[in-house]
Amino acid sequence: MSLTSLDVTGFYALLRREVLRFVRRPRNTFVPPFITNVLYFSVFGVILGERIDQIAGVPYILFILPGLIVLGAVSNAFENASFSIFHGRWNRYIEEALTSPLSYTSMVGAYVLSSATRGILVGVLVALIGVFFTAVGVAQPFYLVAFMLVITLLFAGLGVIGGLWADDFDDLTMMNQFILRPLVFFGGVFYSLNEIPEMFRQASLLNPMIYMVNGVRYGFLGVTEVDPNLSLGVLSALTFVVVAVNVALFRRGYGLTD
Amino acid sequence: MQSAIEIRDLTKSYGDVRALDGVDLDIPEGSFFGLLGPNGAGKTTFINILVGLVRKSGGEARVFGHDVEADYREARDCIGLAPQEFNVDRFFPIREVLEHKAGYHGISQADAKERADEVLKRVGIYDKRDTRFDWLSGGMKRRFMLARALITDPDLLILDEPTAGVDVQLRHELWETITDLNDRGTTILLTTHYIEEAERLCDEVAILDSGRVLEVASPDELMDRGTDDIVVQLRDPPTAVPDFAADDDRVDAVELDGSRLVVTAQQGGLVAPDVVQALDRDGHEIVDLEISRTSLEEVFVEMTRQGEGRATAEVQQ
Repeated sequence: MSLTSLDVTGFYALLRREVLRFVRRPRNTFVPPFITNVLYFSVFGVILGERIDQIAGVPYILFILPGLIVLGAVSNAFENASFSIFHGRWNRYIEEALTSPLSYTSMVGAYVLSSATRGILVGVLVALIGVFFTAVGVAQPFYLVAFMLVITLLFAGLGVIGGLWADDFDDLTMMNQFILRPLVFFGGVFYSLNEIPEMFRQASLLNPMIYMVNGVRYGFLGVTEVDPNLSLGVLSALTFVVVAVNVALFRRGYGLTD
Repeated sequence: MQSAIEIRDLTKSYGDVRALDGVDLDIPEGSFFGLLGPNGAGKTTFINILVGLVRKSGGEARVFGHDVEADYREARDCIGLAPQEFNVDRFFPIREVLEHKAGYHGISQADAKERADEVLKRVGIYDKRDTRFDWLSGGMKRRFMLARALITDPDLLILDEPTAGVDVQLRHELWETITDLNDRGTTILLTTHYIEEAERLCDEVAILDSGRVLEVASPDELMDRGTDDIVVQLRDPPTAVPDFAADDDRVDAVELDGSRLVVTAQQGGLVAPDVVQALDRDGHEIVDLEISRTSLEEVFVEMTRQGEGRATAEVQQ
């Protein structure tokens, strides 16, 4: 069998396995973000939102919708990749793939793409919940699709690094609580950059989440506080670097081999 | 004949510990090869280097001519591995686990389904095909490990303690399956703690100790190097017996206990007729004779004990 046909079949087999893993467990993968986002929209959008004036020319509930989609998409993309790889290492069944003739690029590709798929599906789920609470359109479809693809791929790639780095389940929780959550909450999901002091505004610009949230917001609402083209370019480059690091780590056997 | 496995000066270090210390080994294609050694000898490290779960520190390792690092994909495609530890995907029923494994080796989904059913039938757990691994009994888990190793129809089957913890009947069934595969041309590399298993199944064995190969030979050759006991029961306790050790340098010791005479000798089967003739000549009446051949286990224990001695001496130096 040629390595090319092996690559295609092998990559598809691992991708399929990874997608089936989360699709068959909706209670663990889709129900939690559903409930969390119903609560977010109810509390922040409806109860608090009615007491807040428009932000950036749109009602508050509409302003936070893209941010909540980003929050759901990136955290699920990250969690999927980190959990799947770490759980496979912990129970050693990742060796089924590692001892196969799959190339390291195919392995990384399957983990990243399947995790990005879960991120996008959760993003769509959050959008549907949002539609239930408020009317929303898509102002810039290209940017919406492009940003969603790039950010879920980026966080899936970061999740691969997390899954390889973690030594126990507490490390996974720690990454989510102490790295991902602060980045998201200070990433302009719930507030506008124009409404915070200049010093904090400048500091916020160092947070990559700002560019993701604003990119998706631009896609939905056509409003943004940062240049969408620059954001898309930088995030795409970052994604490329992170995935290249993933492949290098697999090739080196980091966290995978003795 | 091409070597299925070709190893040159293979080393693996974990800090100051040398798990493998300059291993040289050739395992011929189509052979049934045993890797014997005490715990910590380096057997699993050796296997894991071949399949890419351990990175070698030095030397060369090739599988059917493919370097295990430079041509890792070709090398791994030849190998089916049944490891000692269970490392099975717990999320899916066992048939799907097999289908996934086949897929990673480039086997199409339709073929993978057929093969999964075929190997599950071969190892006798087809009726458990929709069960998850965790719900199988210990013996079924061992059978499944073999099924997973076979799903890709490998040229080289590596079995790391395949019968550990299984009952006698299942052990014999597994032996039968493995022997059948070997008869059909699959090269088998077996590690086992059951020396009887190696004695019965292997064409050749390597004895590994402290990361070094002490010996490579067939089980018969190894057993020939040990000493056998010729136990002769005489009618009456003799006052004296011929000095066999003086007459035959194959005889190591002679021990008389009442009417029971024990002659310890190399190649006991060849020495026994001489012992019988000499006793007969001296007028002793023999009522029973038994030759107790040295076992591979005894040779193994003796060799690894010597290995321990060598290692200790080196540390002291």
